[in-house]
Amino acid sequence: MEFATNLTFSAFCQQFLVGLSRTTILFIVSSGLSLVLGVLRIPNVAHGSLYMLGAFLAYSIATAFGGGSTGFWLALVLAPLCVALISLVVERGLFCRLYDREHLMLLLFTFAFMLLARDLVKLAWGSDYRSLSAPSMLQGSFSVLGMPFPRYNLFLLIIGPLVALGLWFLTNKTKIGKISRAAAVDREMVAAVGINVSWVFAFVFVIGCFLAGLGGALVAPTQNITQGMDHSLIMEAFLIVIIGGLGNMWGALLGALIFGLTDSLGILVWPQFAIVFPYVAVVIVLIFRPKGLLKATW
Amino acid sequence: MSDNSTHWKWIAAALGSIVLFFCLPFVLSRFYIYFAALILVTGLLATSLNMVLGFGGMYQFHHAVFYGIGAYTLALTITKTNLPPIVGYLLGPVVASVLAVLMGLVCVRLSKLYFGMLQLSLGSLVWALVFRWYSFTGGDDGIHGIPLPSIVSSITGSYYVTAIVTGLALLVMFMIINSPFGRIFQAIRDNPERSEGIGVNVTRHQLVGQAIAGFFAGVAGVLFVTVEGSVFPDLLFWTLSLEILIMCLLGGWFTFLGPMLGAAIMVTLRTVVGVYTEYWTLVLAIVLMFLIFFLPQGVLGYIIETVRPHPARGQREER
Amino acid sequence: MKKLSWVVLCAVLIAGLAMTGTYVQAADPIKIGIVDSYSGPPSTYTNDVRDGFKLAVDKINAKGGVLGRQITFITRDDKFKVDLGLSAAKELIMREKVDLLVGTINSAVALAVSDLAKKEKIPFLVTYSKSANITGAKGHPYVFSMNENTEMVGKGAAAALAKLPYVNYWIAGDDYEYGHAIAEGVWSNLKKLKPDVKLLGESWWKVGEPDFTPYITSILAAKPDAVIVATGGAGCVPFLKAAKATGFNERVPFFMHTATELSTLRPLGQEAPEGVMGTANYYFYYPDTPENKAFAEEFKKAYGRQPSFGSVIGWFTADFIAKAYEKAGKVDPEKFAQALSGLTIDSPIGKLTVRAVDNQVVLPLFMGKTKKAPDSDFLIATDIVTIPGEQTMPSAEDIKKAREK
Repeated sequence: MEFATNLTFSAFCQQFLVGLSRTTILFIVSSGLSLVLGVLRIPNVAHGSLYMLGAFLAYSIATAFGGGSTGFWLALVLAPLCVALISLVVERGLFCRLYDREHLMLLLFTFAFMLLARDLVKLAWGSDYRSLSAPSMLQGSFSVLGMPFPRYNLFLLIIGPLVALGLWFLTNKTKIGKISRAAAVDREMVAAVGINVSWVFAFVFVIGCFLAGLGGALVAPTQNITQGMDHSLIMEAFLIVIIGGLGNMWGALLGALIFGLTDSLGILVWPQFAIVFPYVAVVIVLIFRPKGLLKATW
Repeated sequence: MSDNSTHWKWIAAALGSIVLFFCLPFVLSRFYIYFAALILVTGLLATSLNMVLGFGGMYQFHHAVFYGIGAYTLALTITKTNLPPIVGYLLGPVVASVLAVLMGLVCVRLSKLYFGMLQLSLGSLVWALVFRWYSFTGGDDGIHGIPLPSIVSSITGSYYVTAIVTGLALLVMFMIINSPFGRIFQAIRDNPERSEGIGVNVTRHQLVGQAIAGFFAGVAGVLFVTVEGSVFPDLLFWTLSLEILIMCLLGGWFTFLGPMLGAAIMVTLRTVVGVYTEYWTLVLAIVLMFLIFFLPQGVLGYIIETVRPHPARGQREER
Repeated sequence: MKKLSWVVLCAVLIAGLAMTGTYVQAADPIKIGIVDSYSGPPSTYTNDVRDGFKLAVDKINAKGGVLGRQITFITRDDKFKVDLGLSAAKELIMREKVDLLVGTINSAVALAVSDLAKKEKIPFLVTYSKSANITGAKGHPYVFSMNENTEMVGKGAAAALAKLPYVNYWIAGDDYEYGHAIAEGVWSNLKKLKPDVKLLGESWWKVGEPDFTPYITSILAAKPDAVIVATGGAGCVPFLKAAKATGFNERVPFFMHTATELSTLRPLGQEAPEGVMGTANYYFYYPDTPENKAFAEEFKKAYGRQPSFGSVIGWFTADFIAKAYEKAGKVDPEKFAQALSGLTIDSPIGKLTVRAVDNQVVLPLFMGKTKKAPDSDFLIATDIVTIPGEQTMPSAEDIKKAREK
């Protein structure tokens, strides 16, 4: 067991960049979770299933359109929209009747939904591994300080800030965004001024689920699209939301950064125990900042 | 659970079921005896979780850790040391309890979701340790074929031990819930600030609650080894924690025996439906959704409400 | 009232259970129980095993079955969880009263069920788990391995790698028993065959790691001559993807067990990297024998896809079962176990034997390099070198030593 034999400056930079692109996916998915948790107070364990669904839909859409570049770009747009549509139906049909229940009952409900989604995905797509190719302009890699850096990861690095900006604009500059932020803090108050809180919640829920689907579609070209994708991600997303501060979008970004970087830099420093680093980071954060790093909405 | 006559009814019901469970091996085939034992173990685990979840209002998100540690303690005592197995049986719950207190010391300052997530992270660290420490815990392959004492090596033997220990554990837990401590504990659940205000040391009570819940989870853990003769890291994984949480909610988390019923329903569903289809989780999901819409108090909570439309209902709704 | 409701509830529950138990079992067919993971990523392998098994069983039954009896089989999904697998196995033995157990892909489940099989004296044929402990340290007369194990991979791969000029190696893999066992097997044997090899370092990632780029870049930083990648099942596809994206395969030659397998290369399509060294136990296009061609065609006709190694395992497992019952002359667990131990049959990949010493099937290993093929949607293996089964098997003394521990 050699220790840190490969700790050079260029490798460090490299790993840092890669950690950042990993952060992007984590951020997109967990900001959606954070929105739903912060505004609606639903601990949505089915969020990971929507992410998985996004990846599978992206695969199917891309294949339906020939699998080339057009297929990919269409999939990237359509898959999250499909996920959003599904979530709208589920929200209006089922969730909206449950908002006054105990949080744990909502957790139970989303758990049931997760089981449902898992089996439906299995029924719809079968058990083979699926793989989606990135468009040719994003394939391959270029050199950063003598190390290869995949083009697709660069693409992720551009998308991440764009999504963050878009979200910031949505929550801070638009009317509906402001209303939903207000609803997160005090829903009775918002209802009292004559706003239909139920539809505000539906809007937020759909945006959150859209982000999960987007994360799934974005991650599809980098990995195996398979059942069980939901599993590994959902726990990480929850921890990110918690350390960042519930409902705080910048918190989700910060949490995702901590997660992505501890993971990828941990590998460089101490590969044998990289698996525990993110958990240790969460424990440390919560011991010193029990309510997360940034201001939570509740 | 307020007046004295209710107590006695519960105790009588418990006694009735003890007699019932004693007779089971005479009428059931081998598989169903094993199956009953499995339900009891899972039910005990869920009940121990509900001690802090339903009665303490703590979001215990990673309860399975204590179960797994109890099981591993017994397994390692038997396979790695020359101590008699009974030492392992005693040590399992104690170690689980100690771990619960240690983790509790870090977590209890936080409330609700934050408490749950911190516990989840700490528990995952323990899981990672068990999962990775090949030379000691057997890593992800686990330890199988643990040589158990002869009294529990047969299915009937392990069933009786499980049934007796589970019965005793339930009795003790029931007594704790109805003791002065239990009442304060429930008061903390209903209103931590006011409890603090009238001079209750909330943190200490919650720690004691953790110790108790961890202890009985450890008991369930050693019973699991008794029934299955194997340990493996899945026992400490967060998915199991989520499952037992679901059992509590399903059965009724404000009732004492609800989690037991929830465990019975879940284990039965997966075994019986699993015989017909690999999509039993789909059936479970649909059943769960129906339950949430129509029986929000859990199955046993619903039964109690229908059978006895007492003032207790009003109190519940107030929360 | 409450007591009553509780008792009624219990009664209903028990009645429900009893009803499922009232299956009348016909004495006639031979009943085989399969416990395997039909959910999640592993199902891509287990479905192939089941389909191959079914194909062979149907064929056997069409010819009149074994000893004049038909073979039936029932499956249970363990969802890759030990507790579910164990209770499913118990249900199959005690309630369904199966004559044989077959399964599973999860090593921990296989070991747990193997222990149960030993206690219940029911033969257990492990189909996909590759833990060397099954027939090694934890072996017993009732457990049989129908797949290669990590020791065999290690020995076989080391024999092939020792012929190559590389000296400075890096090891990377899935951080669980299988990954470590493969890496350890390859490395210890390679060291024996070629003492001057050096290990520059290791990296391990958690099972189900979604993105391998960080690991690949850190490996590249160390500049090894070659890399041994010990990743199993679901990890192979994303690893190869990341290897292609980073140009890993062009910079450093790397060896990966199962990299050339159909289950890995088919989902990647044309996206798989070329020139990856990989071992596999079966290709539907190799060995190029009439038996293999016939099997591949039959499988394709039945299921509309090419057979993978799992399909072959399922196929010859069923064949082994039939032949062993014929040899035993009656349906009896002990006689069956004795008959299967040391049995040789014909299979699509030539003659196969279950070694008498440890009940491990002797399988050849094929090492090839990935290459694009003009008439195929996915990459295939070329320059295939066959490592005969005898060369990869652990010695009888090693087995004895392992079991004494």
